[in-house]
Amino acid sequence: MLVILFNAFNGLIQGAFYALMAVGLSLILGLNGVINFAHGGFMAMAAYFAYTLVPYVGFWGALIIAPILAGGVGYVVEQLIVRRLYLRDPLYSLLATFGLALIIQDLLRTIWGAQGVPLAIPDFLNQPLSQVYFFLTGYRLFVVALAIISTTGLFAILRFTRLGIRIRAGNSDLETIAAVGVNIYLLRSANFVLGIMFAGLAGILAAGQIGLTPTMGDELIMPSFVAIVVGGVGSLLGSLVGGLIIGVASGVTAAVYPAATEVIIYVIMGIMLVARPRGLFGQEGLLE
Amino acid sequence: MSVVFRAENIHTYYGKSHILHGVSMEVREGELVALLGRNGAGKTTTMRSIMGLTPPREGSINIFGNNTTKWAPYRIAQSGVGYVPEGRKIFGHLTVHENLLVPPVTKGKWQIDTVYKLFPRLDERRTSKGGKLSGGEQEMLSIARALLLNPKFLILDEPSQGLAPVIVQEVMRTVGKMKDEGIAVLLVEQNVFLALQLADRAYVLSDGEIVYDGTAADLDSDRERMESLAGISHA
Repeated sequence: MLVILFNAFNGLIQGAFYALMAVGLSLILGLNGVINFAHGGFMAMAAYFAYTLVPYVGFWGALIIAPILAGGVGYVVEQLIVRRLYLRDPLYSLLATFGLALIIQDLLRTIWGAQGVPLAIPDFLNQPLSQVYFFLTGYRLFVVALAIISTTGLFAILRFTRLGIRIRAGNSDLETIAAVGVNIYLLRSANFVLGIMFAGLAGILAAGQIGLTPTMGDELIMPSFVAIVVGGVGSLLGSLVGGLIIGVASGVTAAVYPAATEVIIYVIMGIMLVARPRGLFGQEGLLE
Repeated sequence: MSVVFRAENIHTYYGKSHILHGVSMEVREGELVALLGRNGAGKTTTMRSIMGLTPPREGSINIFGNNTTKWAPYRIAQSGVGYVPEGRKIFGHLTVHENLLVPPVTKGKWQIDTVYKLFPRLDERRTSKGGKLSGGEQEMLSIARALLLNPKFLILDEPSQGLAPVIVQEVMRTVGKMKDEGIAVLLVEQNVFLALQLADRAYVLSDGEIVYDGTAADLDSDRERMESLAGISHA
């Protein structure tokens, strides 16, 4: 029983990373209409920024500054590359962001080396909180808490601010928000940056748990897409819940039948696509 | 009277199909101008050309003295053009109040509280989802949303479409009120009778060309000509 619980909790942590990634991907897919394969690259980039910043500003400073820096890089990339993809065939955005992912990965390798490095986290977060439930370290609870707080913050922005209301309106009808005076170029840039910052947050949190490598985003990107499909394309809440579900499912599978740890999430996606193509919270008609 | 809006010889395409064949028209300060014509004549395309949603490939559009032909839609809107699109295009999954938070804040008479005063019905339904509103309420919301830009030029694309006669009267009264406030109005209407009652001047479009350009009263009094021009009848 303890083993299952241990693995479920591990899965929950993993799921929190998927969820943060998926929420950012989902934001960008919604308003920018771009499937951002470079999301994992941005995630790793932010983690390396944090790694470099920790000696100067400490873990907490890095946790705040690194996602903002990654967002800044995201802004430049949106201006130079991504905005040229809007309204084009989705194939262009797949190719361009996939290429971008490779470029980012090689840049990280060139600057910081191919070897994995650890991200120093504050000592007090590393202590197990219980002798029996040894896997409950402060850091792991911190990861879950921060995932909840940041996504709640995002939902609050989307619900209560003009920026968020425009993002929601633009998701369904970009042309009309432009025709009533919303600068959609600026809005799309802001939305892209917001999505990248979520990738960055996921990267730093993951680095504190599993360390950094230039390819750290690769293992997270596919499950994050699965999370979006399971949760429902177009629904941020769905991306969040979808991420947590596949994380826990894969964690529990690791205890019960380890060989299926990787494949279980695709099985879940397959079942979802057959039984309920629009996903848990997706809009009806989007995929049906 | 100074010219608020002028289109000169505009040609607009959807992909390869050539919709507008050299349309020229203007709206002057304080005027209410009707744009008439049968389905597919190019009325909505004209509106979309004005807003920059489907920019003309040839010709030019001038609004408030600026050449806006190549401007992005948001810039045209922010310069003081209120747009009430065909089919209203309200944001169905947003509440009434959220719909009104989408346009930018502009200086002037029309703010969220004043549009609620103009349309008390919307005030009552603040927290309802736009998609749950009746057609008339959606039309009011679409007009309210356009007014928040404090426009000096208002363009309405078939505001009476699909509405009950009583509601149509109310919408038309509102349009008339806007004219009285000094807003120049360009009104696309299927309901020719109502449009000509309100309008100072009228244009009739047929197959993407202007086939009538004159006073509303002249067109209104010459039923035969109206029918032959655009196949529109007074029924």
